[in-house]
Amino acid sequence: METKDQKKHRKKNSGPKAEKKKKRHLQDLQLGDEEDARKRNPKAFAVQSAVRMARSFHRTQDLKTKKHHIPVVDRTPLEPPPIVVVVMGPPKVGKSTLIQCLIRNFTRQKLTEIRGPVTIVSGKKRRLTIIECGCDINMMIDLAKVADLVLMLIDASFGFEMETFEFLNICQVHGFPKIMGVLTHLDSFKYNKQLKKTKKRLKHRFWTEVYPGAKLFYLSGMVHGEYQNQEIHNLGRFITVMKFRPLTWQTSHPYILADRMEDLTNPEDIRTNIKCDRKVSLYGYLRGAHLKNKSQIHMPGVGDFAVSDVSFLPDPCALPEQQKKRCLNEKEKLVYAPLSGVGGVLYDKDAVYVDLGGSHGFQQSDEVRPTHELVQSLISTHSTIDAKMASSRVTLFSDSKPLGSEDIDNQGQWMPKEEKQMDLKTGRVRRKAIFGDEEDESGDSDDEGDEEMSEGDRLDDSSSDDGTEEEADAEMPGALYAPGRRVKRQRLEGLEEDLEVDLPAFADSDDDLERSSAGEGEAEEASESSEGEDSPAGERDISESKVVGDSSKAGLVQTNGLSNSLNLEKATLTTLDSGHCTAEEAFASEDETEESSCLSTEDEDSENEEVIRKKFPESFQVAGGQRLGSENLTDETSDVEDLLKEEEDYKEENNYSTETSGALKWKEDLSRKAAEAFLRQQQATPNLRKLIYGTVTEDNEEEDGDTREELGGLFRVSQPSRECKHKLDSLDCSRFHVEVPHDWDLEEVMNSIRDCFVTGKWEEEKDAAKILAEDEELYGDFEDLETGDVHKGKPGADTQIEDAEEVKEEIDPSAEESAKKKHLDKKRKLKEMFDAEYDEGESTYFDDLKGELHKQAQLNRAEFEDQDDEARVQYEGFRPGMYVRIEIENVPCEFVLNFDPHYPIILGGLGNSEGNVGYVQMRLKKHRWYKKILKSRDPIIFSVGWRRFQTIPLYYIEDHNGRQRLLKYTPQHMHCGATFWGPITPQGTGFLAVQSVSDIMPDFRIAATGVVLDLDKSIKIVKKLKLTGFPYKIFKNTSFIKGMFNSALEVAKFEGAVIRTVSGIRGQIKKALRAPEGAFRASFEDKLLMSDIVFMRTWYPVSIPAFYNPVTSLLKPVGEKDTWSGMRTTGQLRLAHGIKLKPNKDSLYKPIVRQKKHFNSLHIPKALQKALPFKNKPKTQAKAGKMPKDRLRPAVIREPHERKILALLDALSTVHSQKMKKAKEQRHLHNKEHFKVKQKEEEEKLKRQKDLRKKLFRIQGQKERRNQKSSLKGPEEPSK
Amino acid sequence: MATQAHSLSYAGCNFLRQRLVLSTLSGRPVKIRKIRARDDNPGLRDFEASFIRLLDKITNGSRIEINQTGTTLYYQPGLLYGGSVEHECNVLRSIGYYLESLLCLAPFMKHPLRIILRGVTNDQVDPSVDVLKATALPLLKQFGIDGESFELKVVRRGMPPGGGGEVLFSCPVRKVLKPVQLTDPGKIKRIRGIAYSVRVSPQMANRIVDSARNILNKFIPDIYIYTDHMKGVSSGKSPGFGLSLVAETTNGTFLSAELASNPQGQGAAVLPEDLGRNCAKLLLEEIYRGGCVDSTNQSLALLLMTLGQQDVSKVLLGPLSPYTIEFLRHLKSFFQIMFKIETKSCGEELKGGDKVLMTCVGIGFSNLSKTLK
Repeated sequence: METKDQKKHRKKNSGPKAEKKKKRHLQDLQLGDEEDARKRNPKAFAVQSAVRMARSFHRTQDLKTKKHHIPVVDRTPLEPPPIVVVVMGPPKVGKSTLIQCLIRNFTRQKLTEIRGPVTIVSGKKRRLTIIECGCDINMMIDLAKVADLVLMLIDASFGFEMETFEFLNICQVHGFPKIMGVLTHLDSFKYNKQLKKTKKRLKHRFWTEVYPGAKLFYLSGMVHGEYQNQEIHNLGRFITVMKFRPLTWQTSHPYILADRMEDLTNPEDIRTNIKCDRKVSLYGYLRGAHLKNKSQIHMPGVGDFAVSDVSFLPDPCALPEQQKKRCLNEKEKLVYAPLSGVGGVLYDKDAVYVDLGGSHGFQQSDEVRPTHELVQSLISTHSTIDAKMASSRVTLFSDSKPLGSEDIDNQGQWMPKEEKQMDLKTGRVRRKAIFGDEEDESGDSDDEGDEEMSEGDRLDDSSSDDGTEEEADAEMPGALYAPGRRVKRQRLEGLEEDLEVDLPAFADSDDDLERSSAGEGEAEEASESSEGEDSPAGERDISESKVVGDSSKAGLVQTNGLSNSLNLEKATLTTLDSGHCTAEEAFASEDETEESSCLSTEDEDSENEEVIRKKFPESFQVAGGQRLGSENLTDETSDVEDLLKEEEDYKEENNYSTETSGALKWKEDLSRKAAEAFLRQQQATPNLRKLIYGTVTEDNEEEDGDTREELGGLFRVSQPSRECKHKLDSLDCSRFHVEVPHDWDLEEVMNSIRDCFVTGKWEEEKDAAKILAEDEELYGDFEDLETGDVHKGKPGADTQIEDAEEVKEEIDPSAEESAKKKHLDKKRKLKEMFDAEYDEGESTYFDDLKGELHKQAQLNRAEFEDQDDEARVQYEGFRPGMYVRIEIENVPCEFVLNFDPHYPIILGGLGNSEGNVGYVQMRLKKHRWYKKILKSRDPIIFSVGWRRFQTIPLYYIEDHNGRQRLLKYTPQHMHCGATFWGPITPQGTGFLAVQSVSDIMPDFRIAATGVVLDLDKSIKIVKKLKLTGFPYKIFKNTSFIKGMFNSALEVAKFEGAVIRTVSGIRGQIKKALRAPEGAFRASFEDKLLMSDIVFMRTWYPVSIPAFYNPVTSLLKPVGEKDTWSGMRTTGQLRLAHGIKLKPNKDSLYKPIVRQKKHFNSLHIPKALQKALPFKNKPKTQAKAGKMPKDRLRPAVIREPHERKILALLDALSTVHSQKMKKAKEQRHLHNKEHFKVKQKEEEEKLKRQKDLRKKLFRIQGQKERRNQKSSLKGPEEPSK
Repeated sequence: MATQAHSLSYAGCNFLRQRLVLSTLSGRPVKIRKIRARDDNPGLRDFEASFIRLLDKITNGSRIEINQTGTTLYYQPGLLYGGSVEHECNVLRSIGYYLESLLCLAPFMKHPLRIILRGVTNDQVDPSVDVLKATALPLLKQFGIDGESFELKVVRRGMPPGGGGEVLFSCPVRKVLKPVQLTDPGKIKRIRGIAYSVRVSPQMANRIVDSARNILNKFIPDIYIYTDHMKGVSSGKSPGFGLSLVAETTNGTFLSAELASNPQGQGAAVLPEDLGRNCAKLLLEEIYRGGCVDSTNQSLALLLMTLGQQDVSKVLLGPLSPYTIEFLRHLKSFFQIMFKIETKSCGEELKGGDKVLMTCVGIGFSNLSKTLK
């Protein structure tokens, strides 16, 4: 029973199991799957149709080429700057929470309050700068320009908000950064299905905006006020592995998202005038392109500035050193956010700030004030210099009593005061530093130095902090040796100053020295001049030492202050160099002009000429001549020795300090030391670079110029100015004349350029003969594989050598090795050639281009790689990835006073002439979602390049003939042109326009978008102008027109112009008439009527108002930064003032009243009438219509009797007519019958006749036959 | 505006062209004071005024202010416009004086430049039109400025003091320039030249050719010197003759030398044989100096390198001429660009004097005048 119920097993016919079985079965049968089928049955897979094959080939090729992008040179720096992650979303969507979670995820630190950008190390090779973006449109625009990645937060419980779309549109315009959506508030959904649906809906909408498949992240819910760890971790992973494509604007402009701001203004200036312009320094990572010093920048929301100084600082949030670990350790997970109060030690160019509040003290209170007294005093630097001076304390030794200003006052006699001393040996005036009191002069630099000094000292005080290590290094010697060696150090400092003064001149003077050694006569001359110039040089020395005195007096600036490494190094340098001091000073006057005079054209002055001639060959001998001077100046050896000794002492101090400060300290700044060494070398060697650009650092050059002016101002001699004049006004010619021609008849001179010609000797690798020989060697022996023949190349020498080698082999194993190597080399070469022949064959244009650009990128990387940053910065500018400090002067005070760290501060570098203004033409389209159309001449706010500004655009459209016709309003759904007066921005830059940046409008705020097309200094937009006139006299085709012009001159301008009447008669202006004024003669194609209006269509150029008003939203007070409003439109003004527009009466619409027209009848002359054919003749005969009354007969009124008679007559006639009718019918019938009979008779008659005729014809025929018979019998018949 | 702040100031009329050209390219206004202030005849000369007028013609929206005595010049550059222009060059300087600056500016116009310059084509001071044609044009081609319309044609020859020459120069427009790596000049494979004579016996040119060949034949056999004798209208207003020589290397470097006879009525008469010989020797000097760019075009090459994209460009030069050195300084003040300068000594090889390798990173200049369509 049971067995019957069971189902039978059915074999599977489909599914993986069945497949597998089938496969096994096939394999058992030795029949493989598809691949094997191809092999098994090649015919089945052969080309079926050549056409289809070609098509499919084309298609694949098309798809392949579609994927290509225009290759660009990869300019990303090796150590890229942190990636800017903008967290954007409407309020209350969870932005701050997300940032906090991300920071916690990456760094294991918790920031309670986030202000401004936060930089964190997220991985071994990646750092992030996270910044929050609210929904102030200013902020949105600015951040969209610098963003690399946008995290777009969307409240899923609410859906998309306008801000999200606005931000997307802003991003689209300013280059599209990567955008990742993040859905929050997903826990508010109760039902899973609803959640799923919402997710799907939002995802698809997001995809249409960004691109299909864009990443949308879901944050499902909050746990203890934070997002779930795992989700945040995943999000972090996504961010860290994300790749970015370069955006045009960002890669072509340098920019900085500042993460720190310091006010450097002199406190005294602020005290006297709180509204004075400020000097600020801004810090941040440089991004985009290379930044050059002194270049132009724009700060969105503030304005245009020139960078007054840039310097790079050690990276505060550096990537970990290279190591092989998989992940970062805790120490390397850095976070840097100075605006939020995180970051510990801040390095400045010349100061170090320690924020002891730091990340730990941060949680204690909302507004953290560092508790430490020192830092507190650091922060409050709003006191004046005098007050600070009084309160500052200096500790020279760790356990000594701090020194106050009164101590310094007491030590007034320590202050150096120069004293001239004549060196008897050399006759040189030397300055000796003697301490006295000179308090009267104090410059800005002194103040600053002093300030820094005091800070530095205090830092020194608290040197338990590790952050100041670097400084300690520099500081220690000064601090330790201050009392004992004061005099000597003063000397050194003097020299330091000296150096700064003389550096650029130094190179030249060195050259001079060489020259003097070279030529006796010149040396004499030099010494002469040195004597001559002695006194001014001396004077200069004096004033120099005065400077020294000033600086040292103020408060041991260099001794205790944070004298940086450069200073130290400079000092050493000077001591080395001061060996030539006299000579150098002797040439002082020449030095001034030397730099330039070497360029002046030579023909002016024979001496000058000689200088130059010497200079060029010599300038090539880079290092050689450096020491020549000292050889030359043997008489000064004592002096030199003296100084050298000092220098050695100094070095010893240095060493000592290094030793004391820590055993491992020497390791710390090896690179810095190397840089110093390089710098020293650079400065010491007189080279071409120095000849051209002066010294290495620009600052020195400038200082040099300043001081020189200052010092030598009184003692300027007239001679240099004369030389100067020669140089200034000499001939402007690019030809490079040969001063000392070679004698080209001499054999050796001729030989010197022998190799410049193809006939000369070639380089090893290029020598044709050699290459040929090598080829021979390569191709010498070969075996023809097909035939098996072996061709022998050179049977002679080569084989012999080989034989010899073979012999040697036995003796020498190394020889064998070399032979093996040779063989391998040969093989490799052959392989390369083979590869070159067959692999490169397929290289396309695209590949070539790519290869070229790749090569260029490699060259870019390699070129300056081995140089230290100091020098590199000079050549290529500050490269992206560096942490830089930018000083800017003349910043409006509101920027500092109303500083709000939540708002991003961006420094956008400007290219050449991007700081200028001109007319900018662009293609513009009103945004689809913007509710209104835009009106010409209404002020509107543009965001182009880095800038946001208000301007007055004119809209136009280009006609087919290229005419740009003014439009009053933008078209609804079409592109149009727009022109405004504003900053010049490169073509192809995207822009967007908003009507207002203050939060008034609830609707979509972006009014228009587009792209910059053209830049110019003039425009050609025209509007139509119709001039009307009226005929006052009409001849045949000629008319006199008046009212169009006012004078004959105006008419003369328009002679030959085309005019037209309203009815369409075309004509031309001929010539002006004498009276009335402005009337003219015109000819038309037809005769005009007096009622015609004549008009002429002309084009009138419109002028664009030169209105350019940068949006200065950052200058608004805190909390009101989104309320900037610029110029108002006339409409807004009218609304505000309640002014009603008074319309032009003519423009008003009125009901149309049409008059009835009357036409006269047509009159044809009689003569014509006569000539006309009858058809066309006017029919004069009236129609037989009604009879006129007079002709009508009177009506007859009958008597009753008469009426009876008439009735009877009627009846009778009726009867009669009836009778007649009957009779007619009868007659008709009768006639019919008669006709029938007649027809019968006729028929019979015809029949009869027919029979008769028949009979007759028969007889006739018989008769004829008979006749014929008889004729056959013969002729006798008839005769018979 | 910030425009006022970044204006540059100079004194003296020397290097006037450089300053004005760089000012135009960088968009920075420039003020030049004390132009021949102490001279008996102060102020701008006619040829300089003519140059400024030329600049005004090819730009749009430039502002030029010259004071009463002509000793101070303020120049606020407009945008380069280009188009078809004709210009009457002053005869005090040759067309080369004007053309050198035009070569710097022409690739960055709004419309391709097509200019007819009239004046002196060859003189003893400036590089002549022939030399510029033979050296500067191939140099520009290296930077990607090329095309059918890129030409320099000598329509008529004019010698000083009369002038009467005519030159047609047309140049296409580029948005960006290519970076170059000119580090190997190659070896000279041929020498070409033009011996011209106007309003003198045609035999002069032949005599020049013979004497020049005499010297150069010792180095290379491939020499061809064309004789160019112009007659009638195309011979200008003054008599004269001269020679320009160009050496071409295997790598496309052109080195040039030239000499012209003394202008009529100035100086002693020059024998054509002497002129030929001296010119050949000058060419040898130029070869001795060497480099990938000849000495007159050094500044042009450096400018185009500066105006390249943000890539490394390299060029090997002979010794820097004073003009180039000043140009480098000007480049620094206008574009904040510094060149890495390395001296390369030739060592054992017999290749003339020491060379200088100039390296720089372009500033990423793009042609702001060109219209986007």
